[in-house]
Formats: sequence, C-alpha cells, structure tokens
Amino acid sequence: MGELWRRISYLFNRRRLDSELESDMEFHREMATRAGRNNFGNTLRMREQAREAWGWTWLDRLLQDIHYGARILARSPGFTVLAVLVLGIGIGVNVAAFSFFNMVALKPLPVRDPASLVRLERRSSDSYTSEMAYPSFAFYRDHARTLSAAMAILGVPPMQIDDDLQPTSASFVTPNYFTELGTPAAFGRLFTPALDDSPASQPSVVLSYELWQHRFSADPAIIGRTIRISKRPATVIGILPYDFASLGGQHPALWMPIAQQPYFIQGSKVLTDWNDSTLHMWGRLAPGISSKVAEQDLRALTDEIRKQHPNAVWDNEFIQSSPGGHLQIMQPRMYEAAVIVGVLTLLILAVSCANLGGLMLARAVAREREIGIRIAIGAGRSRILRQLFTESLMLASLGSAAGLALGCVTMRVLLSLPDTPQWVSAVPDWRILLFTAVLTFLAATFFGLAPALQIARQRQQKTIVRQILVAAQVAASCVLLIVAALLVRATQHLIYTDPGFGYEQLISIDSQLGRHGYSPEAARAYLQQMQTRLSSVPGITSVALVRLPPLGHTISNSTTQINGRTVTIYQNWVEPGFFTTMRIPLITGRDFMRGEKRAVIVSESFARQQWLGQNPLGKEIGEGAAKDTVVGVAGDAHINALNDDDAAEQYWSAQPDDMPGMVVIARASGEPGSFTPAIKSISQSLDPKTLPEIRQIKLLYRESVSHLELIATAVSAVGIVAVAMAGIGLIGLVAFTVSQRTKEIAIRIALGARPAAVLAAVLRQFSWPVLLGLIAGTVAAGFGSRLLRIVLYGVSNLDPIGYAAALIVLAAIVAIAALLPARRALRLDIARTLHYD
Amino acid sequence: MPMSFRPKEGMPPGALPMLILRVLQSGSLHGYAIAQRIHVLSSEVLAVEEGLLYPTLQKMLVKGWVVADWGTSETNRKVRFYKLTPQGRAQLKAELAGYDRMTQAIQDVLRTA
Repeated sequence: MGELWRRISYLFNRRRLDSELESDMEFHREMATRAGRNNFGNTLRMREQAREAWGWTWLDRLLQDIHYGARILARSPGFTVLAVLVLGIGIGVNVAAFSFFNMVALKPLPVRDPASLVRLERRSSDSYTSEMAYPSFAFYRDHARTLSAAMAILGVPPMQIDDDLQPTSASFVTPNYFTELGTPAAFGRLFTPALDDSPASQPSVVLSYELWQHRFSADPAIIGRTIRISKRPATVIGILPYDFASLGGQHPALWMPIAQQPYFIQGSKVLTDWNDSTLHMWGRLAPGISSKVAEQDLRALTDEIRKQHPNAVWDNEFIQSSPGGHLQIMQPRMYEAAVIVGVLTLLILAVSCANLGGLMLARAVAREREIGIRIAIGAGRSRILRQLFTESLMLASLGSAAGLALGCVTMRVLLSLPDTPQWVSAVPDWRILLFTAVLTFLAATFFGLAPALQIARQRQQKTIVRQILVAAQVAASCVLLIVAALLVRATQHLIYTDPGFGYEQLISIDSQLGRHGYSPEAARAYLQQMQTRLSSVPGITSVALVRLPPLGHTISNSTTQINGRTVTIYQNWVEPGFFTTMRIPLITGRDFMRGEKRAVIVSESFARQQWLGQNPLGKEIGEGAAKDTVVGVAGDAHINALNDDDAAEQYWSAQPDDMPGMVVIARASGEPGSFTPAIKSISQSLDPKTLPEIRQIKLLYRESVSHLELIATAVSAVGIVAVAMAGIGLIGLVAFTVSQRTKEIAIRIALGARPAAVLAAVLRQFSWPVLLGLIAGTVAAGFGSRLLRIVLYGVSNLDPIGYAAALIVLAAIVAIAALLPARRALRLDIARTLHYD
Repeated sequence: MPMSFRPKEGMPPGALPMLILRVLQSGSLHGYAIAQRIHVLSSEVLAVEEGLLYPTLQKMLVKGWVVADWGTSETNRKVRFYKLTPQGRAQLKAELAGYDRMTQAIQDVLRTA
C-alpha cells in the first residue's frame, strides 16, 4: 500500500523529482570527471531509464500519443468531423437501443430491495397466463414459506370520478403493495395492512400525483374529502409521489384496496371465485431463498389447490417466478425482439466502422511520408502502431461522445411520450456508460486496426483490404435495407389490406356484467333489453353480441398443425347476427341459431387449408367425443389479430353461461362517436351500477396501424442512413483510387482509351466486392429475416418485391457513389498530369 | 526490463540493491559516494555505472527502502543523501540471509561434487 502511495506521489511531483534526479546525476558526473573518468553516456536517456522505476512511463507515452493524435486530428478538421459524425450515428443508434433495453430490463426499480421482487405467473406445458384468481393468490400468500410477502394488483376498466365524461384508469391492490415497495405518500397516507385489509373499513382511494395535479388542481385539502368513483363514495386518503415506481409498469390514476373491490364494483365475486383469474401476483423472496426454491415451494401449493379446487388449476400447472424488479417483465419473445434490434443496430455500427476504415486507409497514403520519417529516426513498429491506435481510440471516443448525446436525445424523445413513468430518466447510468466504452473500444479496433497495421508495416497499399471493406459495407447495408423494405411492405400490407370486417362504423359496448356479479339469466335479460333499445335508436342499423369484441382487451388463440404447417387459430363465441353486424360475409352455409351446440363456423382460410377443394360444410373438427360440425364458412376477418395474415378463425355459438361476459357490438350509420350519450342513458336506465366501456373500433384500428407505421418509418430511416453512409464511404474510396492512379489514367487516355474503358479500369477493383457484398447481404437477410416473422405479418420473409426493391435501391446508390468520383478520371487535364513530376 | 538493467562487470543479478543497502547501513551517502564506496570496498573489482545506479536507487526509493534528503557534499554542493529506512534495514537483513543461504548452497555443491 505504501508503495502505491509513493508511486502516486511520484506521479504528482514528477517535475520536482525529475529535476532532483537530474541534479543527482549531474553531481555524479562532476565527481567522476574530477576523478579523471569520462563518461559519455546519454544523460537524457539514462534519466529516462531511471524514471522508469516510478512506473509511469506508459502514462507519459500515452499523453505524448494523445498530444500528437490531437494535433493530427486538428490538422484535418474535415476528416475529423466526418469521422465523428459517421461514428456518432453508428454508436448513437446502438446506445439508444441499449438505453431502451436498459430502462426496460436492466435498471432496477427505485423501490425497496428490488432484487428480491419476483413476478409470479401461471404456466403449464401448453398454457400461460399472467393472471391469477384472488383465492389462489390468498392461498399462496398464506402458505408460501419461501416468500416474505405477496402483493397483487387487479386492473379494472377505467372508472368514473364524480360526473366526469372521461373515465379514469383504476386498479385495486393488496394493502401491503405500497408498504412492500417502500413508497412514501406525497400527501396523506397510503394503504397499510392494518387499516385497509377489511371490506368493512372505510372506503378509501389513493390518487396518482398526475391525477391530483390535473383533476384536483394539486389541492392538498383533497385529503379526507369524499369523491364518487363509479358512483360509490370513497375518501381520498393520500397522494402517491410524483416519481412513484409501480410494479410491471402499471400506473393507474386511482388506487383502491382490493378488500373493497366488491364495494366499488357491486356484485363482484372476484375475491371468492377460484376460476376468475384477473389479478397480477408479485412476491418478495424470503432472505436467502432463490427463485428456483420458491418455484418448488409454490408447486407443492399448486398441487394442494388442485386437490381442493380441481377446476381452478390446469393439468401440470406450476407457478413461474421471474425477476420482478424492473420496468418490464421480460418474456422469451421480448428477448428475441431485443436480439433482432441488437443485430440490426450492430450492423449499422459495422457499416460506419467499415466506412471509416476506408477513410483511414485513404489517409494512410497521405501519412506514408510522415510515418516513414518517424520510423527512420528510430520509432519502433509497436510504438507507431500504438500511436495510430491511440488516434483511432481518440476518434472513437469523440464519436462515442456524439453517440451518447444522440442516444440521450433519442431517450428523451421516447420518454416524452405519454404513459412513461416519471421516475425513468434519460440520463445515462453506469451500464450505458460501460456499454458505450466497450463499443468505443470495439469500434476503434474494427476501423483502426487494419489501416494501422498496414501503415506501420509500411507496405504498399494493398487493394484487398479496401475491397474487403467495400464488401462488408455493401453486405451490411444490404441486410439493413432488405429488413427495412420488408417492414415497409408489411406495414403497407396492413394499411392497404381490407381487415375483413367493416370497422369504420362499429361501436363496442362492454357492460362487464360478469364483474358486477350478474347471473347468466340476468345477463341475458340485460343484454336482450340493451339490444332491443339500441336497435330503436335512429342511426343504429344492426346489433349483435360477441364474447371477444374486435381489438378488445383480451384475445384467445391456440395453435394447431394443418398439413404440417403451424396455424394460429383465433376463437370467438358469437350470437346470431354477428356476421351481418360486423359485415363479415358468410361465404357458404348459414349463421348460427341462438345457443346452438356442436356447431362451428370457420374462416375461409381455415377451410381452404384444412379441406382444400372439398366442401367444408358438414366436416367435423375437434378431438375425441366433443366434435363440432362445420355449418358455415365466413370470410377472413382478423378482428383480434389485425397484423396476422396467417391467422384463421373459428366461431362457436355463445352459450347461456357465456352471457355475463358478452359484449354488444353495434353498427351505426352516422358518426359512431355521436351515439355515446344515447348508449350511456340506455345503460343507466337498465342498471345504474354498470358503466359500460364504449369504444369506437375505427379509432382503435387507426391507433394500431399508426404504431406499425411508426416502427416501419423508424427502421426505414435507419436503413437509409446506413445506405447513405455506405454511399459516402464508397465515394471516398473511389475518389481516392482515382487520385492514386491519376497518372496511369492519364496515360491510358493519352493512348486513346475510350471513356468506358477508363471507367472500367478504375471501377474494376470494386465490382466484385460490391457483387459479393450484395450476395452475402441477401443471403444473410434471407436467413436472418426468419427471426422477423413475428412482426412481418402478411408478408413472407422472402418477399420478392421487398428484396428486389432493396437491392435495386442499393445497386443504384452504389452505382452513383462509384460513378460520381470516377467521372473525375475522364476530365483529367492530361497534359498537366503527365508533366507533373 | 530495458537492456541497461542487466548487470555489468559480472555483478550477479539483484546484487546491486543489496550492496547499496549494505553501504548505506553505516550512514547516509550521496549517489556518487555509494558508487565509490562499492568500488573501493570491492578492491576496485565492481564498478557501478550511473546508468545502473540511478534506476536502482529510484526503484529503492519507490519501494521505500531508502529516503533521500538534501545535504551538502564535500565539494560544497547541494546534493541528495540517501538514507536507509527501517524497511530498508529489514530488506537488507532478508537479502543477506537469502544471499548466505545461496552461497552456502553453491559452496556445498562445489565442495562435494
């Protein structure tokens, strides 16, 4: 330790110590000369050697290199700015992507002990749900010894505050939710197990900071006041902090204790029904317990529940525990998406590095003299190499700084979108900085090493390195452009393809009768009334019932193999009249009869895949005894999988037991939004407890399409940037080749070569790398795009139009990039060129 | 380690620090005096070049075996005197013991082989 300190003090007192050393040695000489011995050693060199004992020589050399590098970079500002820009884009895109991943999956939530939080979800070999029934939750909570606490949140459809027109998002939570997360109240108090665990306690509500600001004008006197939530009075007991971090990124505006859920949603049996899986469960691992051990413990409890309530548990069900202390609980599919994005952004970096590598090579020629002199006066190869690599690292660091700024700006834009939790910040944390540092080093190695080696070796400029760089750039931009083209095609497909049902004039009305404890009979009566009264509203042309409304909150699907192909089947349960209301054509067969059993209507594509060329009517589907007969074939209508062209649908007739969960859909002849008051008043008169969620399908549809458009636009922009960079890189390389071969070209022209022959001579060395790059890129895209299947609905990942478009654009850009500078060769002043030296 | 750190005049590797420590045991000396003392005491067999002496001294300073203090030379010049630290004394002891063991071992081999 003492030695380290001494070394450090030597670093800071170098100047003084060096002069002391000098004086020592000077004295030594004096004395030696007196004694008649002459010493002709190199004092400077000897002093340097003595200083090496301090162990800071490397730092001196590094500072020297940096000093020198800075001078070199400052001397060619054009090159430096271009290089920093190119790198900044390449690194910035990666930093932005990583920042997002970091925010979602790596950064721990700012709550108490985030590492021990786990998300608990039901799983079996063939089923998966993130929702659990309250009684099961309570059973796990009471019996799991591996969990120190269990929390649950029950999301409900938006509720009404007082007489607001706009509904407000709401959730019910277990009373330990805030205490477990260690959340302090901004004002008032939050729920505690002691006060809020009983249905008998005073109905209370906690408001989000934002709601308090906007709806209640930040009035602190709101604490203790009574407001009505969906018509039920409740006391406001507290305000959540501004930067509250909730589990699973759920940030509703209204929070109520789960014990009072039946008070707010009258008739609800959520707290007692073992089969009503609606809440999200979280746990806190007991100290020293691993996620795996907890899973084992919970598995035993699941078996216990199975014994007591066989219907509440699936076959082979178990509880899966995954880390819960992040913004997003990562599912395997999301990791897949992250890998795709990561590969694409790294490709962009590869393009920018290859590009810069080309520029560096071109500069290498200009520096041949300088390096030659340095080697001649005694600089070692390794020293030169280190100097050049330091320069590359400096460039890369500048580029990284620019990239970090770009990433930061991107995150800031992203965070300005609504629904972003306030605690998330765009300021890079140590993970992002580390990532950037690693990227900087990799980039410097990638673009700097080949040219540095070549320069330090003082070899004649080899074209092969240039050719490899060109091929790599073309290949990488080829992949990027093809991916962009495929995404654009998929979006176009989605926008310009008829979704198969008339969404423009549709309204869905979800009264959530099940949540209000309606029996099937009562629900039937209610819905009957609703339908009759709606039909009499002028402008409503048709009304029907469906269990899973178009673009609804829940979807149900299963996968099956048809002739060796995996097909996703979307199931739905409907009442007669559904197809007419939805404007889904019945191609053959008939509509259901009410409550009909053992009958199924399949979509056209299902029928075509299953019974190609046969009459589907009368065919049977299903397994075992429960076979259903096909009574009709409907047109393809992906009402809950807009962007899944491969989806097929199966419809069954809704049964009496389905009634509490049915949703009314209505077709309007006017503006669908104008019917909301009429629908509200009907529902009020039928049962004031119910507050239906009224949605215009047109708006939902547009929203869903605009998301995809946004993604496709972003990817295209990135692809274009990459291609532009590749183009600039190629322009640079060709221009360099022309300048290098000016004399040869001039001789050729002087000897009567035709322009075409001159161009060919200049460009020949680039033709095969470009071709090779195009082929390699296309093949890579062909294999890689298989991963993209999850977003490429309706377009094959080998879509010929997408590939052709991408390749044509790329070829055109490459051709222009090559020809522009090559033309210079034709305009050479031959006489002057040949007279020169 | 650079070339010049190799022992000259047949000095065994690692012997110089030990010799410096030894000549400093009796009191502080400046650099030239250290070289002289070694030269004289070895009956002019060992010559300590400044290219070797000063790097070694710097190393010993960093290791904390010696400290340098300003003093006045016999020629009335301001010069640094090197002085043994307790750490340096301990080091000398250890080196001497190691050296004794080594010479003893070599002697044993030479005698019996």
